[in-house]
Amino acid sequence: MKKILLLLVFGVFLLSSGMLLADNEGMEEEYDEDIYGPEEPIVWVKPVESVVFEHKVHTMGAELDCESCHDDLFAMEAGAAEENEDFTMATLYEGGYCGACHDGSSAFASNTRCTTCHIGVRGHMRLIGGDGDEGDKH
Amino acid sequence: MKIDDLEQMDSEDLRGLTSNERRKFLKMGLAVTGLYLGGTVLSLTSVKNAGAAGVVPEDGQYPYSPHYSMVIRERLCIDCERCKNACVKTNHVPAYGFRTTILEKRRSLGGGKHETIFMPVLCNHCNRPPCVRVCPTTATYKDEKTGIVVMNPPRCIGCKTCMTACPYNARYFKEETRAVDKCDFCFNSRLSKGESTTACVEACPADVRVFGDLADNKSRVYQLVHAPETMVWVLRPETGAVPNVFYINS
Repeated sequence: MKKILLLLVFGVFLLSSGMLLADNEGMEEEYDEDIYGPEEPIVWVKPVESVVFEHKVHTMGAELDCESCHDDLFAMEAGAAEENEDFTMATLYEGGYCGACHDGSSAFASNTRCTTCHIGVRGHMRLIGGDGDEGDKH
Repeated sequence: MKIDDLEQMDSEDLRGLTSNERRKFLKMGLAVTGLYLGGTVLSLTSVKNAGAAGVVPEDGQYPYSPHYSMVIRERLCIDCERCKNACVKTNHVPAYGFRTTILEKRRSLGGGKHETIFMPVLCNHCNRPPCVRVCPTTATYKDEKTGIVVMNPPRCIGCKTCMTACPYNARYFKEETRAVDKCDFCFNSRLSKGESTTACVEACPADVRVFGDLADNKSRVYQLVHAPETMVWVLRPETGAVPNVFYINS
């Protein structure tokens, strides 16, 4: 009798753990950098501090291909856009860079919801694990 | 008094109180409370004094000329902190203090999403500045002409009472001068030298900060604050300090 009980408990344990594992797999697809691009968020600090871009949100989330942006809107090379003179909001409003989609119809317009991408000095600090309040201590 | 004498005395506890005396006392308490309550709840005091009329002053009722003020178009702030850096450079602000800074708040968008709102803050150059009121040496005062709340560092004894009194945390103790330091709308560093605007306004790439003379109806600050269908607010209006830094979202 005892053995049967033990087996039953063990069985339930196995079953539930199996279900948990399966659940996890179903819920979160593995992030593959070869398909979706670098997982680390990109932070631009020029021309203003600090603007974030996440491949994850755009490729895995919005289901865009690499070709949607590379190499027409953005060069593959990291930090290349930042060096361009025309990497400004004015260019975005004319459909350049992020503005190609962020025009109000495909995605929210570039002149709205500023802080979605502009995470600022505080946001940048938080992202790299620093203290966002550094400047305010007294 | 010896303990024996003490024992001989009448007890002062509640048992010795007649019910009439209790009633009298209660009545007095109610009368005093009623007087105060009546003043605020029943509006026996003037509503105008309660400051419910809104934060934007009536046209023409600006005590100073030029009446310097700042309008902050909050929604546009991206926390690039160029204003902060420009202020530090222009006014020699040490790393441990600030004359202006950016605060941050988060608003839920539902569905686990959040929106960040950056809020630039600085001295509000209040019409009724609590800091000026508490200063024991008149080291900080309201400039009679412009209404700017200025510091006279040699007069400051470093008691820091003004720092406690300020509703906006806009003051810090500067060790280099052994005096409290604060924003003066760049009066010493720029305005007095013929410049027309502050360093932070000049540095802002998003046109968040607008500086000018509120008493001049052609100025941008006047037009923004008095624009129709605009939500205008100030920070901590309940303190009654009547601040001159206005926040809008358009």
